[in-house]
Amino acid sequence: MSILDKILGRDEEPADGDGPKNEAAGYTLKIRRYDPESGETAFWHEYDVDIAPERSVLDGILYAKDHEDASIGIRCSCRAAICGSCGVRINGKSALACNTRISDAQAKAGRGKPIVVEPMGNMPVLKDLIVDMDAVHWKKIQRVVPWLLPDGEPPEREYIVPAESMIDVTQSMACIQCGVCVSACLSLEVDPEFVGPAALAKAYRFVGDPRDGQTEERLRDLAEDPHGMYDCTHCFACIEVCPKDVAPMDQIMRLRRRATGDYEIKDKNNGYGHGKAFVDMIENWGTLHEAQMLPRSFGDGSMIKGQTEPGAVKQLVEALPTAIRGLKSGKVTPKAVLFHPKLPDQDNVRKIYKAIESQGERLELNLYIVADNSADEEGAMAEGTKEGLA
Amino acid sequence: MKLAYWPGCVSRGFTPELHGSMALVAPKLGLELVELDRASCCGAGVIAEHNQELADTLNARTFALAQGVDGAAGMMNICSTCQGAQSECQERLDADSGYRDHINGTLSDQGLTYEKSGEWWNKNFMWLLVEEIGLDKLAAKVVRPLEGLRIAPFYGCYIVRPTHRLGFEAHPNRHKYLDHLIEILGAESVSYAGSHKCCGFPVITMNRATSLRQAGRHLADAIDAGADCLVTPCPLCHLNLDMQQPDAAKFVERDLDVPVLHLPQMVGLALGLEPKELGMDKHVVKTKDVQVKVAEVAAA
Amino acid sequence: MPQHDVLVIGAGLAGQRAALAAAETGASVGVISKVHPVRSHSNAAAGGINAALDPEDSWESHAFDTVKGSDYLGDQDAIEVMCREAPDEVLRLEHLGVTFHRSDEGKLGTRAFGGASAARTYYVADITGQALLHVLYEQLMKHDEVTRYEEWFTTALARDDSGRLAGAVTRNIRDGSLELFTAKAVILATGGNGQIFNPTTNALICTGDGIAMAYRAGAPLMDMEMVQYHPTTLAGIGLLITEGARGEGAHLLNAEGERFMENYAPNKMELASRDVVSRAEQTEINEGRGFPDGTVALDITVVPRHRILQSLREIVNVGRDFAGVDITSEPIHIKPGNHYVMGGIKTDIDGQTDVPGLYAAGECACVSVHGGNRLGANSLLDTLIFGRRSGVHAAQMGRGMAQPTPAGSELAREREAIQSIISRDRSGRRLSEIKAEMGKVMDEQVSVFRDEERLRGALEVVKRLQEEVKTVAVDDKGSVFNQDVLGALELQFMLDNAECIVMGAIERKESRGAQFRTDFPERNDDEWLKHINLTADGDIPAVSYSDVTMTQWEPEERTY
Repeated sequence: MSILDKILGRDEEPADGDGPKNEAAGYTLKIRRYDPESGETAFWHEYDVDIAPERSVLDGILYAKDHEDASIGIRCSCRAAICGSCGVRINGKSALACNTRISDAQAKAGRGKPIVVEPMGNMPVLKDLIVDMDAVHWKKIQRVVPWLLPDGEPPEREYIVPAESMIDVTQSMACIQCGVCVSACLSLEVDPEFVGPAALAKAYRFVGDPRDGQTEERLRDLAEDPHGMYDCTHCFACIEVCPKDVAPMDQIMRLRRRATGDYEIKDKNNGYGHGKAFVDMIENWGTLHEAQMLPRSFGDGSMIKGQTEPGAVKQLVEALPTAIRGLKSGKVTPKAVLFHPKLPDQDNVRKIYKAIESQGERLELNLYIVADNSADEEGAMAEGTKEGLA
Repeated sequence: MKLAYWPGCVSRGFTPELHGSMALVAPKLGLELVELDRASCCGAGVIAEHNQELADTLNARTFALAQGVDGAAGMMNICSTCQGAQSECQERLDADSGYRDHINGTLSDQGLTYEKSGEWWNKNFMWLLVEEIGLDKLAAKVVRPLEGLRIAPFYGCYIVRPTHRLGFEAHPNRHKYLDHLIEILGAESVSYAGSHKCCGFPVITMNRATSLRQAGRHLADAIDAGADCLVTPCPLCHLNLDMQQPDAAKFVERDLDVPVLHLPQMVGLALGLEPKELGMDKHVVKTKDVQVKVAEVAAA
Repeated sequence: MPQHDVLVIGAGLAGQRAALAAAETGASVGVISKVHPVRSHSNAAAGGINAALDPEDSWESHAFDTVKGSDYLGDQDAIEVMCREAPDEVLRLEHLGVTFHRSDEGKLGTRAFGGASAARTYYVADITGQALLHVLYEQLMKHDEVTRYEEWFTTALARDDSGRLAGAVTRNIRDGSLELFTAKAVILATGGNGQIFNPTTNALICTGDGIAMAYRAGAPLMDMEMVQYHPTTLAGIGLLITEGARGEGAHLLNAEGERFMENYAPNKMELASRDVVSRAEQTEINEGRGFPDGTVALDITVVPRHRILQSLREIVNVGRDFAGVDITSEPIHIKPGNHYVMGGIKTDIDGQTDVPGLYAAGECACVSVHGGNRLGANSLLDTLIFGRRSGVHAAQMGRGMAQPTPAGSELAREREAIQSIISRDRSGRRLSEIKAEMGKVMDEQVSVFRDEERLRGALEVVKRLQEEVKTVAVDDKGSVFNQDVLGALELQFMLDNAECIVMGAIERKESRGAQFRTDFPERNDDEWLKHINLTADGDIPAVSYSDVTMTQWEPEERTY
């Protein structure tokens, strides 16, 4: 067999899942069990479950509980992806067990292999598939002051606010606090203090709410926190796994947009400086001039003004060996550090900057609200297939 | 195959060896690259973070320039971050005709229009190799199989997530292409925990610890899994994994010292190009051991 | 021994609202919930909340619709209270942060709902219950004077020597420890009991715990036979498709493509009250005009696509994930399915039950505002209004009162009961088998169409299962998150609920609201315009009756 055949043979994965691979046994769930009272470490156990392909992984686990071992621990309630109880990892991917079709999970696991179910990541395991949400998730939610703080007394009737603004924050309101994004977050993996995707999305729910009176304070708080909005590495893991299209990372980016664009919060984490340096550079040259990126980022984004925060100076110094290494390895020449060519028609790029800045208001297209005004089939691509592979 | 070619900023800045190796590999694969020398930075998500419309307009301009290249089959990039940032902008441009018209309005005095089309594509070199050239055709061109080399694929983020935006409906195995390429070129693909995780680069100036702990952890995992080197389709990942590796080692408190190849370098080696011409001497982490192994195979 | 002035059991909308209201009066409040509060089933109330807030609308109109919807079994004083207080309650929630849908002018906007003479349903897309629940939980996080006991399972109520409520016995699910809580007042807000039916729209946690505990503590249950079958649920798994879909204009079609509601409710069509629509569907199915899978179709494609995506997003997901149907492009198969219990613990308009110190609010209670049939978007309202009123009243009642002392040995008795289940060796069937048999018989014999013979048969099964569950064994012998033993306790609660539902259904020899007796197909106001009350009394509940409170609306023939 050639390598090519091997690759392709190994790879036969029907995208839509084609039902049980072994008709007699239905599906096999390989569940990570942990009993804190036993004194033993976690172990794996396999359960054969006989359910229809369109049923969920949760149905499979409930089948195992009903027929074989009711001591398997899993939180679950609604079965319909609204209560947020049954977050787990299925074949390594964080998800709600109730809205992961078992045949899809089988397709991902691969022919003849068990579907692997583990507790969520980034949170301590209490028993079997049950993790301690309080110790991580809810602590972080509490951290972002998760309640509306309006200015003054409420009006006699409702607050009058733009219709779009309510639909807009409904995206983060749609969060069911399942913790699936927390489980998948790659920053949390290395920085347990990171406020995290769910809590930051929750923060945007108030920052984006025109009724809230503490917008700037909220933004400043999360911009200055070293584990706040600038501790997200933009890895898309939360967007990929969110069962409710909350797109937590998009909400984090909106926090940054508001913090830098609307309030010009010059944080000590260089979030403002980094963004401004980047955007300004493209206006100047059209392409990135990395050699200037570092010095410009620290501080308020401008090397000339040089009003750097003490923390920024420290970070700049820490980063210097990197630049020196670049020169030493020969990949960066001194000339390249000093000189960066403009694009041949950089004026056209500047024109775009000017046109957009002159509009006054930032135009933001949120695909969560835009139900498409092109032809309908196009909208179906943007909206309807979002979770096709989730 | 003629292609509108967007090399991105970093391949012409801090990772010139990427740009150079792509230029050498292209003719070997029968690719004619028409470089988009007027196109601007994709914004890397940072411009969109600042102003979405600005990022969308700049990339619409790039797409329009690419669509203007006569006879091109499509557009190719060699940077995952460009792929991710541009796909994000393209998703918005394609979703709403009113928005698209507005953006095109801004470009109109430059004589440029981005046309939404099901035919037109923008693909990273990794996708292009598998989908447009084909693994079988590539296999036929291998003159120096990378036998004995254990290579850990590092996909990073922008080219694998979110799947709904990155064409996984039509190409469900895009998260395995690096593995496939490593194997078709004769090497062994190393499986390890960090292959699809984040290199940490986007916060290198904001939170050095978060950034380099990520890079360090994945490098360490790859080493522990027995990798001789890593390969990545993203020059920004390369910056954190290679250029920052000595500092990353401090954050994970262990020795690392594992070379990181750019995808065109790996392909180039198998197609018979020499390590030096592929810029493999210009890495921070020395690639000597890899070079030795490759030379041994060639001699045998 | 944790002590509070007011102890709230259950932390869905009614429980959270009660806790906040009690805390605002300065009372010490504890909230116990067997799941984290935001997991509560109030989440599932998708469509909205009714209130006559528009100056063009009136609370009287809302009240009349509710009275009529109830098939005149609702108590009109309670309905008046609910409808009068609705507008302020909705505004209150808006001020706390609920992201209600707005009109183009930025004011609160409405959608149409079943059985209503005006569009008075306020909503947040189709996640209204979730939005309300999460906003109330934000307030609980803000007010740390409310002590939360999250993931604590209450097994029994405790009374003092005088028979007044004095507290509750509760198991900490995380470590298995059992505590006796004392309180001057206990508010039950434990929700419904849909899990006794299979399928059901209800969550796995909806096991009628509070209803059974109140019943065992001597409180009468009222109108338990009134069980709502929702017209649009997915066959098989029972998941809910919100009435909001029909509110937005969706049609019901039989297998012949006919919009059959023309034959049953020519004026309101799909937006007739739920009992009417469910019976119409079941008739179509029974008479052979349904699909082979025992369903009819809901056609949402007549609603503009952008509107579906904007305001019915959740059911787009439900259709895609759970039925494999894109509801924006094709009809989805649905059938009537168990959804809500109108009956429950009998209370007055302040939530007081007949047992001093015991209150109930929300779905577990029967005030009664829903009578024989609940209108869509009145359940959220019920939870908030009577949750608040219970909280306020309970706190005031307890002021100046000494902390009561539970009599006897509830704690020891409960500990022993739990231990005996855990230590028992297996003999006989699994818990899941008993539950499955209960769910099947209830859905087959105690659903949309009922008759004496099949009801008697169901009662026999339930009585047998009650005996069987007494000796059931469990697999989990541990203390930490022993969900298995809690499942055994829940099953006992459910069987008490089931018995009362069947008893009420046998007792009511007429057809009214959700109860349709094929052997008594007419409404009979002369004999049955009254509530049926069931009280625990040895082997079989004791039956008594109470009057329906009438204020201004005399019973009329009910057409839509």
